[in-house]
Amino acid sequence: MKQRIKDLLDYYIVTKKHHQFRQDIKLEMAGEFARMELSPMARASERLMRVLDAEKPIMLVGEKIVGQRTIKKVPDIFTNTEWDEIKRKHYIHESGNVCNINPDYISTIKVGLEERKREAQKRLEKCNASCDCEKIEFLRSVIYVIDSVLGFAHKYYEEALRQDNIELAEILHQVPRYGARTFHEALQSFRILHFALWCEGDYHNTIGRFDQYMYPYLKADLEEGRLNYDAAFDLLEEFFISFNKDSDLYPGVQQGDNGQSLVLGGINSVGDDIFNLLSEMCLKASKELKLIDPKINLRVHKNTTMDVYELGTELTKEGLGFPQYSNDDQVIRGLLDKGYDLQDARNYVVAACWEFIVPGYGMDIPNIGSLSFPKVIDKCLHENLSDCEEFDLFMNCVRQQIKKECDDIAGGIKNLWMIPAPFISILMSGCIENAKDISMGAKYNNFGIHGTGLATAADSLAVIRKYVSEEKTLEPEQLIRAVDNDFEGFDELYAKLRYQAPKMGNDDDYVDSIGVKLLNAFAEALSNRKNERGGCYRAGTGSAMYYLWQADEIGASADGRKRGEAFGANYSPSLFAKLKGPISVIKSFVKPNITEAINGGPLTMEFHNSLFRDEESQSKVAMLVKSFIDLGGHQLQLNAVNREILFEAQKCPENYRNLIVRIWGWSAYFIELDKEYQDHVIKRQEYTV
Amino acid sequence: MAKGIIFDIKEFTIQDGPGIRITVFFKGCSLRCQWCHNPEGLSFEPELMVRESSCIHCGKCRIGCGHAECKSFSRCLKICPLGLVKAVGAGFDSSELAVKLKMYQDFIKINQGGITLSGGEPLAQPEFLIDLLRELKPLHTAVETSGYSSQQLFRQVAELADLILFDIKHTNPQVHRQYTGVDNEPILKNLDLLIKMGKKFIARVPLIPGVNDSAENMENTAILLRNASGLERVELMPYNLFAGAKYTVVGKKYAPSFNEKAEVCIFKEVFEKHDIKCSVL
Repeated sequence: MKQRIKDLLDYYIVTKKHHQFRQDIKLEMAGEFARMELSPMARASERLMRVLDAEKPIMLVGEKIVGQRTIKKVPDIFTNTEWDEIKRKHYIHESGNVCNINPDYISTIKVGLEERKREAQKRLEKCNASCDCEKIEFLRSVIYVIDSVLGFAHKYYEEALRQDNIELAEILHQVPRYGARTFHEALQSFRILHFALWCEGDYHNTIGRFDQYMYPYLKADLEEGRLNYDAAFDLLEEFFISFNKDSDLYPGVQQGDNGQSLVLGGINSVGDDIFNLLSEMCLKASKELKLIDPKINLRVHKNTTMDVYELGTELTKEGLGFPQYSNDDQVIRGLLDKGYDLQDARNYVVAACWEFIVPGYGMDIPNIGSLSFPKVIDKCLHENLSDCEEFDLFMNCVRQQIKKECDDIAGGIKNLWMIPAPFISILMSGCIENAKDISMGAKYNNFGIHGTGLATAADSLAVIRKYVSEEKTLEPEQLIRAVDNDFEGFDELYAKLRYQAPKMGNDDDYVDSIGVKLLNAFAEALSNRKNERGGCYRAGTGSAMYYLWQADEIGASADGRKRGEAFGANYSPSLFAKLKGPISVIKSFVKPNITEAINGGPLTMEFHNSLFRDEESQSKVAMLVKSFIDLGGHQLQLNAVNREILFEAQKCPENYRNLIVRIWGWSAYFIELDKEYQDHVIKRQEYTV
Repeated sequence: MAKGIIFDIKEFTIQDGPGIRITVFFKGCSLRCQWCHNPEGLSFEPELMVRESSCIHCGKCRIGCGHAECKSFSRCLKICPLGLVKAVGAGFDSSELAVKLKMYQDFIKINQGGITLSGGEPLAQPEFLIDLLRELKPLHTAVETSGYSSQQLFRQVAELADLILFDIKHTNPQVHRQYTGVDNEPILKNLDLLIKMGKKFIARVPLIPGVNDSAENMENTAILLRNASGLERVELMPYNLFAGAKYTVVGKKYAPSFNEKAEVCIFKEVFEKHDIKCSVL
């Protein structure tokens, strides 16, 4: 690591000195917009213009990739009254902004914003002829926001001149107005485009297949002698640091949940593996810098060789929770089944956490809802078990209830509306061409539903199957009473259900087969269903934060889980299950038909960091990951942890400022998490030597 | 079809042989090494394991329960609200155990791994061990052993297994007896046999401070091992302060006579000087 990178790390990450430049002003415009009765599109573009206009260019001496936020908050464009009215009439997803999206940055990086403006102007001329107001307004907004972004870049250009930084001035003169000619220019162009997205209010703005689309620039520079490896690596490291400068200002459930996902490797649209020099450099840069952004994802498949897994494991060893692995073989097949085109499916990327989306063409909302499996079981336990003691009959009730829950979730999504986003639309394929804002939809408009607590539910059903239906040692009423009383007064039953009953994750078909049935029922309940934009629904195995939130919706559960206890994160065994080991966990979790439930959601595994102490051990961890993929696993988030250290960090956070842990699809600084999230990480199973 | 008793099956053991392995821990051992970190592996009988450190003293396990499974133990095994009380030591038929272990074969095959038999002391349950080794074929098997047995038994086992992990605790017979409770003569005879058989093996030396970590003992160990064609490497295992961690769990006291905290001397170069590959775990 060069000294200047160390200095940048110290400045931006450790001491966060750049915060001093953040302005103490509060931009407000909603009231004014309301009085002027501006349309949403006009408000969105005006907001971007004003935020970028208020931005001050801050450039450190020696920086090579510039741009940092000085405006702390992106202001609302609607008053509370207006927003309430909008919510009454529409389904609003989260904050209502465009999110969880992978723009096609490179097409604009290659030709420049000036050229995109020309495109918009030409298209506008056509529109003027036919007088389509909506299209005209959109295209005008596109032109307006391009100008604001160019204005922003120009401020930095002038600052570069002022600081006599000729190299940077030349770069900022060129990009993002014109096409990038070098790797450095491409990175700087990306930074400005990405920067603008957050200022527009869009969030979970993912990075995508960076190693694929940026490689031609790197390759040309290396071949033509403009850069050598070290210089390129140095730029890459600074580029990676840039994702961490403003991220504390980005929306998310906890610090770190910002969706800056970078996807490496995997096959391209014609089926060839693209893991290249830049992929390797990204893994190495992430390993050296040890930052929580960008979030490293690695696409693998049956032909991926061990050395790639070994590079990945070297990164896992650092304890960042990177890389998260996705299996092309499963994911692509699953996406094809859901109607994605082959080329698009092959180009899949990962959204903010782990949901599978498509670059350029996807306005999927992959986290629009969540099904709590344990809630379904709880309802059926209380309402149906007494009449349906026979297990197959009871499973039918469960299936019906799953279907009903899905009906409710889907039925509740009416009149979806998103805040217009003219700038990100420029970066999404076909928006200018069709004069249609991305918030109105794209080629893909699918919805994704998480599936929370699968193991808890399977375990609960196993208890019902074994003790109520088969052995008949437990009456339905007894079980219901025990659960309702949080097992108070049911000591022996509690110990039996919690510690002796079969658990998903021990390669026990008795309970694993139930997990398979549950996921099938979920996938089926969402199949043949279209949303109002013509998209489909994708069942998933992720939980996001619902492992905490939905756990509070029910009391105790039949698997011996007490009221208030969380579910496992994403696709993993219950937190208190006594597990045989990682091999059994893998074997259990590759049994379900994952391609039918392809929204995303990784098997989550944590290894004690002593498992990474030498090359041979690391190599075996890499083999384990490869086995998971080869056996049909779809996604894996893996981390190196040390529970003792986590406890210490809770006691003395000041000593553990850089301790990073994996959450449900992103990584965080442990001490910045709320205690319930910290506790959940600690409670997770840790596989030791 | 012999019967035997084991105390654990651990998945993904990374220091017990090549590839990804599953290790079976035999219960019962005739040695009493002062540094043994598997106290539940010493006796040949099932026993109680209670994780006292997490106990909240609710007293529920001490109330008479009447369960058949709890009869031979001083606590109820089925009532602890934290799951801290269990009986360790499960009886198996060798074929039953082999079937259970063969469920891992798809995994083992794709990772060139295998099954390691450890403990406790596998050689202390000879029929069970031999039957199991036979029934596990064609899976790769490794046996982790102190080497304390008759030569006849040892030869049989060494012929059946694919790899032997052989412990060499001390070359001096008196010191060996003092710290392990047994003479090392049968062990050294079996080592010699192993070398003569040309069988693939790894020699393991637990490094116990002040007991066996002297340059002299390392030199004597190296002399025993030089020119052994089957020797893959020597693995030195520095003493770990967590060695005594499980003693209270089985109601025993950990009281080694050596100074646990003394720094261990690691004489890797002694082996390298004799052209013996040496790694420190």
